[in-house]
Amino acid sequence: MLIETTNFGPLDVAERELLRFAQGLPGFPGETLFALVPHRENSPFVFLQSAATPGLVFTLVESFAFFGDYEFEIGDELACGLGLSADNPPQVFSIVTIPENAAEMTANLLAPVVVNFRDRAAMQIVLDNRKYTTRHRLFPQGWPSRKGTGRDE
Amino acid sequence: MLALTRRLGERLVIGDDIVVTVVEVRGDSVRLAIEAPKTVKIYRGEIYDAIVAENKLAADSQNVKQLSNLVINGDLVAKNQNTPRKNR
Repeated sequence: MLIETTNFGPLDVAERELLRFAQGLPGFPGETLFALVPHRENSPFVFLQSAATPGLVFTLVESFAFFGDYEFEIGDELACGLGLSADNPPQVFSIVTIPENAAEMTANLLAPVVVNFRDRAAMQIVLDNRKYTTRHRLFPQGWPSRKGTGRDE
Repeated sequence: MLALTRRLGERLVIGDDIVVTVVEVRGDSVRLAIEAPKTVKIYRGEIYDAIVAENKLAADSQNVKQLSNLVINGDLVAKNQNTPRKNR
């Protein structure tokens, strides 16, 4: 299946590889099919590209790569609905917002994206936990400093 | 929009499978019990609004460009992944 995208050009993605958000995402109820576009090797970031809207793309980050003590409970009903179990645990991502100063990028820990990769089913869930907000800094102290390495790229 | 007055303990039935009961009224707070099918998602309004707003911001493809620039500037991202707790 050929997907037109504004940022990545045309993408050829097998239909069974697409992630299905049966209920869309809050604010985007009609967007149910997405392709995952890798950021680059070993990156905790990944792009979630809409299959229907070329210009619609979310930047995701593996939540636990940056927030080691992040935790929430997935209720039985939700686990069941998504096809998750102890044998098929979810992968958890957070949607990232990147302002002009990219060092201030934030992750939405209040509404994680929970993915069942086996069945390609996903959902953005809303936590009932006041500990988390829609904006947690990924780099609270700014970029990790690595000055003077003489890197050319 | 339909506006109805209910007293403590009274219910609203919405469609065939949603029941909202007033279980507590104290000052300007009202506590509601909602019975609904699992497929019906229920959010506090202000939280839902915040998530919609953040999703709209995050959906800007400027984000993608920003992250691409970041990579060109060095491998901060990969580096950080290996030391997730250091920056918290």
